[in-house]
Amino acid sequence: MPKVCFYFQLHQPFRLTDATVFDVGTKDFGYFSKSQSQDDNKDIFIKVADKSYRPMLRLLLKLVKKYPEFSFTMSLSGIFLEQVEAYAPDLLEILQQLAKTKQVEILAETYYHSLASLYSETEFREQVELHENKVFELLKVRPSAFRNTELIYSNKIAQMVEDMGYVGMLTEGVDRYLWGRKRTVPYVAQTKDKMPVLLKHAQLSDDVAFRFSEKSWAAWPLTVTQYLEWIQIYPEDEYVNLFMDFETFGEHQWEDTGIFTFFEAFVGEFLKKKWNSFVTPTEVFTPVCDRKIRKHCLDKDHLDTYDVVEPISWADVDRDITAWRDNEYQQDTLRIMYGLETVVKSQPDSQLLDDWRRLQTSDHFYYMCTKWAADGDVHAYFSPYSDPHEAYRRFTIMLADLQERLLP
Amino acid sequence: MKNKNVFMVGWEYPPHNSGGLGVACQGLTEALADNTAITFALPYHYLEGVNHMNIVSCVDPTWEKTGKKILYPPFSTYSSAGVVTEVSLNKTISPEKLRNLPTSQLEQKVQEYAHVVASRSKSVGYQTDVIHAHDWMSFPAAQQLQKKIHKPFVAHVHSTEYDRAGLAQGNRFISETEYEGVMAANRVIAVSYYTKSILVNKYGVDANKIDVVHNGILPLKKPADPGSHHFANKRPVIAFMGRLTLHKGVQYFIQLAESVLKQIPEALFIVAGSGDMYHELLLTTAQRQLSASVLFSGFVRSAQRDMLLDRADVFVMPSISEPFGLVALEAAQRHTPVITSKNAGVSEVMTGAIALDFWDLDRMTTSIIELLQNSDKKAQVISSQLSDLDNLTWTHAATKVRDSYMRAILGK
Repeated sequence: MPKVCFYFQLHQPFRLTDATVFDVGTKDFGYFSKSQSQDDNKDIFIKVADKSYRPMLRLLLKLVKKYPEFSFTMSLSGIFLEQVEAYAPDLLEILQQLAKTKQVEILAETYYHSLASLYSETEFREQVELHENKVFELLKVRPSAFRNTELIYSNKIAQMVEDMGYVGMLTEGVDRYLWGRKRTVPYVAQTKDKMPVLLKHAQLSDDVAFRFSEKSWAAWPLTVTQYLEWIQIYPEDEYVNLFMDFETFGEHQWEDTGIFTFFEAFVGEFLKKKWNSFVTPTEVFTPVCDRKIRKHCLDKDHLDTYDVVEPISWADVDRDITAWRDNEYQQDTLRIMYGLETVVKSQPDSQLLDDWRRLQTSDHFYYMCTKWAADGDVHAYFSPYSDPHEAYRRFTIMLADLQERLLP
Repeated sequence: MKNKNVFMVGWEYPPHNSGGLGVACQGLTEALADNTAITFALPYHYLEGVNHMNIVSCVDPTWEKTGKKILYPPFSTYSSAGVVTEVSLNKTISPEKLRNLPTSQLEQKVQEYAHVVASRSKSVGYQTDVIHAHDWMSFPAAQQLQKKIHKPFVAHVHSTEYDRAGLAQGNRFISETEYEGVMAANRVIAVSYYTKSILVNKYGVDANKIDVVHNGILPLKKPADPGSHHFANKRPVIAFMGRLTLHKGVQYFIQLAESVLKQIPEALFIVAGSGDMYHELLLTTAQRQLSASVLFSGFVRSAQRDMLLDRADVFVMPSISEPFGLVALEAAQRHTPVITSKNAGVSEVMTGAIALDFWDLDRMTTSIIELLQNSDKKAQVISSQLSDLDNLTWTHAATKVRDSYMRAILGK
């Protein structure tokens, strides 16, 4: 039986208001909320908190207390944490209790859940630092391993992450870069110091994240026994990396699908076998190594290289970045956004900087995606707007306003 | 001259109008009513009530099979986005879809309407001196009535299928109905010389049978509020307002934006309206890297519509074919300099505006830039447009329409 590494992503964007062309350059409108009392983001957050964050965090806390051998990993975007503080502060307490235990690892990422790694190293580094500070301020821990927005990864990004001093990074196991190699072993990045990386097991992760309640799926309903059987196939010295959105629990898969009971039972069953164990990324990247018997050692020289020339991600069937940067809407708005970096940063206006950064959140570009078929359905499920054209139209109004604010 | 009794066959009337036709019918009938008794037929139940004329609902009983009262025209024929009410948009078929409907459906509705109108011939017959019908949907009704009561028929052409199809052939059933209508009519009223030339050249109507009556415009109820204080006050605003469809030339507006922005990078272009080209225009905007400089307001309602015309520094109407173009007059009323296409009827009466070929993007660009940068020029255009408006009243139009009635009655 292999080791299992759970990582859950917690993130909510600040969606755009339905501001009109006639608001451009007037000061009485907000990009992300109309007013204190009229805030769609608040409504959405409270709904998701009720359905997913609160029950799942409580369950995790219960499991951590019940099983000292249970461990898992979370990554929380900076703007997610902001929304916790503003809309559901009771969650903070649970998060703090979890972060205090040695069984929970918190990852580093960009504060704004942005695509900065693809556009600006300076901005990328600043956002990662902002995030680290926010995590430390609220949860009193400093992350040591890194995950980029939507697991976006390339050799170049890995090098930036390595340069920032992180011990390792998570990403997707993409067939066109694996060439038939396993996704259940650690690799090293194509970087100066060979930073280790862990790859997501897409199939086993998506069995839970996407297929769990799909009645047309042959394995439905998924049982713990069945799921354990699939995991047991892998040998003891390998890792099954189950990476998914936190909202899988209770929001994408509603409570009545049995997702919570499934998860709780899985943890219990898995730990019944003494030789089974959960791990977190930093335990894999910097193990307590017994060199004499060569146990638990991560010998970078013997690890294969994960050489990723073009950016990959965990999204859509192509596992590339076309969910956010494919059509003209996305390309042009991203071009304009990052083109504003120097001038925005030259202004002594922290509100302007924050607005600009909140507009960088990857979700805005995801909503503009016009790809078809199954991916299109997923995009539509997540989008607050009627269609990608509306996502683009609204974004351009905010962009025009941002530009207006920059005019003398 | 003795007062005349007119039986008008209409299709839409405010507030349930999809565009210029309803507005024109209102302006014209209000002015005509001074010394003309008007009976106005509509293909739906008109609940609002007006004082100046008698509105009769001519609804085919089969349309109400479901028990629901018909409160809107069976389909909308044209619209200039800005004035489409939300309600009528939802309830009627858009002009683009209309063109793709099976001809039989259009034909059926129009024929059924004609039938209901003609069935009133007995009560209408005594008291009618002239039949006046507005556009192709009403022509078959007027023709049937004409056969029964033997009164002269005046066909009023507010737009032709050639305009709506961007000078292409368009829907054959519609253009045939139009053709038959203007041929059967004793007189034809065209909203501009431009429209007259289409009727003469495309339909072969005898030029002597056509009277040109330009539309008027109602004075503003509240004074205009020009200036840049409404929004985006740090940058010049150039506006387009109309249906996002080929014959309105909105695609040229995006090209103009691109060329003007090369010289005035902070300029803001606003496209107001909805229509079948919307998504294509959005994509073109992104492709040409104009995402933060060309904004789409979508469909605008009255207050926003007025605000945009008040705010705009230049209003551009690059239509490929525009029988009249009332919105250009509205922009002028709100002290906004107008650049129109030469293929727009409005350019015949608003000589103070700048009229250019819609395809001459270089000149259009130069003119936009000049109006933005040369305040003397801008002021001069605004004031000469305003003095043009003085003559453009519905009272003038009504006088000419009465002349047309006389010619129809006298057979001249």
